Order: sequence, then structure tokens, then C-alpha cells
Amino acid sequence: MPTKLTRRVMLGLALAAPMLLAGTVQSDAKELRVLAWQGYADDDWVKEFETESGATVKVVFIGTDDEIWAKIKGSEGQDFDLFAVNTAQLQRYIDAGLTTAYDLDKLPNQKEVLERFRDLSKVEGVMRDGKVYAIPYAFDSIGIIYDKDKVNPPPDTMDVLWDSKYQGKVLAYDNGEHNFSFTALTLGIADPFHLSADDMVKVKDKLIALKANVLSFYTTPDEALQLYKDNDVALIWANYGQQQVKAMLDAGANIGYVNAKEGALAWLDTWAMTSGVQDKDLAEAWVNFVIQKKISQQLSERTGFGNSAVETGSAGAGDKLVWLQFVEDPTKRSDLWNEIKTAP
Amino acid sequence: MLLTSQKRRGASGLLLPLIAYGLPLFFIVAPFAGFLLYSSFRVEAGVMHYDLTLFNYRRFFVDAIFIPVMLKTCLLCLGVALLTVLFGYPVAFLLASLRGRLRYALLILVLVPLLMSYVIKIYAIRNILGGNGLLNKALLWLGLIDEPLKFFVFNLNAVLLALTVLLIPFAVLPIFLSLERIPRNLLEASVDLGASRLQTFARIILPMSLPGVISALTFVFVLAIGDFLTPQMVGGQSGFTFGRIIYSQFGTAFNWPFGAALSAILALVVIPVIALGASFDRSRSRA
Repeated sequence: MPTKLTRRVMLGLALAAPMLLAGTVQSDAKELRVLAWQGYADDDWVKEFETESGATVKVVFIGTDDEIWAKIKGSEGQDFDLFAVNTAQLQRYIDAGLTTAYDLDKLPNQKEVLERFRDLSKVEGVMRDGKVYAIPYAFDSIGIIYDKDKVNPPPDTMDVLWDSKYQGKVLAYDNGEHNFSFTALTLGIADPFHLSADDMVKVKDKLIALKANVLSFYTTPDEALQLYKDNDVALIWANYGQQQVKAMLDAGANIGYVNAKEGALAWLDTWAMTSGVQDKDLAEAWVNFVIQKKISQQLSERTGFGNSAVETGSAGAGDKLVWLQFVEDPTKRSDLWNEIKTAP
Repeated sequence: MLLTSQKRRGASGLLLPLIAYGLPLFFIVAPFAGFLLYSSFRVEAGVMHYDLTLFNYRRFFVDAIFIPVMLKTCLLCLGVALLTVLFGYPVAFLLASLRGRLRYALLILVLVPLLMSYVIKIYAIRNILGGNGLLNKALLWLGLIDEPLKFFVFNLNAVLLALTVLLIPFAVLPIFLSLERIPRNLLEASVDLGASRLQTFARIILPMSLPGVISALTFVFVLAIGDFLTPQMVGGQSGFTFGRIIYSQFGTAFNWPFGAALSAILALVVIPVIALGASFDRSRSRA
């Protein structure tokens, strides 16, 4: 009920907006409705932004990608002003006309972000037809964890996972989709997310070859850590990136983390504005606020993820990151993955 | 009492059958029917087609990977069943030969692991069997081996071993019950007639406990063949089983129809095994 009431109030305010804009804007009238993952809109940041802008910020946290879609699509973009979404998922929101393009002049802090995020035309997926639909915020790479005592010098290529020196000492992740993508990168295939039938065969053979080196396929960070503790493990394909690194360091492991030169798969979460954004300036002010260096630094300290403004362990300045996209056919990849696992 | 129940027959006469037939119909038959229906749908290029076909069932026979994995899995589970009986029988025998309180105290001790989480037990087993695990450390310390053995972890042996350890209580219980049911006077008669202990065991105890053994075999086989967690956790890159294939259809592949079809095929394997166990039980009670 309260939401319905506010919506009606907001509708009234929206109708009265031209009048309000002409006169002095009442500070308590502004409200920003944010849909985000835990850790993306912490209380202290919200308070600071509220003081700065005079608006109230209402944050709703989500738990899954599907939940975001249900909430944004369900209200045709009317229930929220901003939402956090990864670049792979973002595409269907743009397709469905559920987003509003940014005015980069309103985001001065975007000029201060890390080199790799500064020119948005070079960030796969955030622009469409010359317009910016999403601002990079948090990311993490899927690199390689190596045991410093066993792998020396540090590896710089994904081929190390196939090195017979490490036979039975490699932990891989139990997921066909990602394994096909990273192996395609290793083979130098330009688009690892849309493989031709020929490339599929090549990647499959390469993954069968990888099996000889693999001790076990893991599914959770905890499981990988336990496997590492109880066995002679030299290399881990780190699906959970920095989260996994932190857990292992906390457990006292002497490990390092690299993104190989072939490129590391990585996810990228962004801020997107809904088609129903009520106060565009306010929404842009929020995004500009959270991509400042101080907040970005705190974001990484608290979540362990990389951010767009300050360098972190997720990626060095020169590391090549390949932002995850939807793959051509997940079912097909999963079937082939089963075939790989049954291969002798 | 009899009179009142007759009086109320009108209402309860309808209600009771409704509950008696309705609940299983609603909670067992209907989901199973839905499940079979699902197995006739088809997913192609990530899109579900709601037409009724035998496409998924055909695929099981046509694709080269499924039948070998199925056979391998059956063999594995047969091995597990035989091992649990081999280890479970002496335990059950010992328990049955004990008297009074001690017998049930020890029985409960055997069954305690069933109260613990399955996943934790697998973690513990992995901890024991791992390259740097307890077993290898002990063998190294004793000087029996020079470097950690990899023979019993992250392969099919490990799955066999882990499933055996996990499922032994399910073998002990039915065997214990069948041993317990053997009348003592038969054993006494056997001794009185001059049979040795071994003869008594071979001619009286073993045959009479056979239905328990068959129950144990079926129990364990059915539980083992449906398991998808153990192969994932200790199977490494070679311990891939049929349960894993079914599991994968519901996860990343998002191919529920094919997963349902594979499960139906698995049921076709399991049902005769259960029927076999049940027929032994019947023939015994008739005799």
C-alpha cells in the first residue's frame, strides 16, 4: 500500500514538475528509487548522498538476475529510477526499451575513472547507436590462482593449465559454458561466446586434453579451498575471482592471482537508468556520486570486487579483460561438456 | 464405538477415501504424470517445444555417451551393494549375537551417521582420502609409501569407496532384522544334532538371513544409483556417473525434458531391482 501511495504522489509531482522547476525545488519532495545488489548502495553512502542532494533514496536489494528482470519488466520501468545490472543481461533491457540514455556531461567523475572504463565505446555492451546506456561500476575477472611454491615463475598464459608438469594438480570449474569460453580464448578464437561448429570441435578436443591435468572439478569456492588444503594443487581456474583469492589468503595459502595474456573472462556490473526515470538529473547525480574514487575504494574494500575508479587485485592496468556475454547455445555447450566428462 | 462409526458413515465414508486416495493421487501420481509429460517435450537451441514426442528417449539410445555411462554406473552401484553387504553382514551378525541393552546401544551407534549431513560426511571422507589426507599422511609416516597415493581419490575407486562407507548402515539394518528373526531354538537344535558352528552358519543362519541380504542389496543399489553428489565431490575427472548427467540437465543445460526422460529411464532400471527384492520377501513369508 505505501508504495502505491508514493507512486501516486510521485505522479502528481511529475505532473507538477514544470512548475517546481520554475520555482525553488522543495528538497523533501525528491526521491530516488534504486534497485541494486547488496554492497552496491551501502547505508553510509546513501546518507551522504541524501545530505548532499537533499533527496531521499529508497534502495531495494535483489538476489538474482531474474529478480531484476521481473521487477523492471514487470513495472515497465516505472517502479525504479536506477538499477544495477551486468553487461550481458543489460542487452535485453535495451532491446525492450526499458532504459534511458545517460548525458555524460552530468557525470564528471566518469572522466576520472580507470583507463579501461574511460572511453565507454571500448567497453563492450554499454553503448548502443552512439548512446550510453550503462555506467561501469563493479567487476571481477576469472583469472588463475597459482601456488607460489609450486609454480615459479608466475604463469602468464592459460596454456599453463595444460602443462604436463602440473598433471593431477589443476582444479577446474564444473561448468561447460565458461570452460568453452576460456578455452576458446586460449586457442586464440576472437569471439569466445559465439563459436562456429568447427571451433566447438576444436575447443572440445582441447578440453578433453585438459582433463589429463585436472585433479577435480569444483563448484563452490569453499570446495576449491578444501581440495587445495587436502591435496597437492598447483593451479586453480578461479571462477569466483577475488572472493576465492581472499578465502584462500585468509586460510594462509601462499598463492598469487593472474589474468593470463590471452585475456581473462570477467563480469561487469553497471548502473542503468530505467525508461520510467522520474528525475533524470537526480539519477545521474547518484551514479556520479558512487563512481567517485572514495566510494569505489570502499566498494572494493567491502565486497572484494574490482571497481571502475581505483586499481584493485581483480585486474592490473595492462590486463586484457573479456566481458562475459550470453553464449550462442548454453544447452549445446552443456551437452558437449557431458561428452567431455565421459571421454576416456 | 462401532455404532457411532456406522451412524457417521455418510460424512466420513466420503472423507476417508478422499484422503486415502486423494493425497497419494495429488502428491505422487500427479507429479509423476507431469514429469512423464515433461519428458516428451523437447528443447532445441534453448527453446522449449511443447509437442509430444519420444525425441528424448530416442536420444538416449542414439547418442554414443549415455548407454556406456549408464552401464558403468550400474556396475559401480552393484559393486557398492556387494561391498556394503560384505562389510555390513559381519557387523549385523555381531549385533544380532549380542544380548540385551548392549545390542541396541551398538545398533544405534551404527545408525548415528544417518543423522549427519550427507555433504559433511563426504567432506570428511575427502579429507581422509586426499593427497595430503589423513590416510596418506599415516602411510607416509609409517614409511609404507614414499609419495602420496592417488589411487583412492578423485576417480571411480573413490566414488565406490565413499558410497560404500556412506551406505553401510542401510545394509546393516535389514540384515540385522533378518538375523534377529531366526528362532533361537533352531540354532540350539542344530547344535544338539551335532552340527559345528560353521555348519550351523552355512546351513541355517545364512539361508535364513538371505532375504535381509537381498533387501540390503536392493536398498543400497537404489540409493547409490540415484546419487549425484558423491561422484561430483570425490569422482574427479573420471568418476562421472549417470546421476551427474541427469543433474546437469536441470542446471546449466536447462533441458528439463531431457532430464525427465533420463530419470524415467533410470526408473525403468530401478523398478525391476526393487521388484526383485520384494519378490524375495514375499516368497519367504509364504514359506
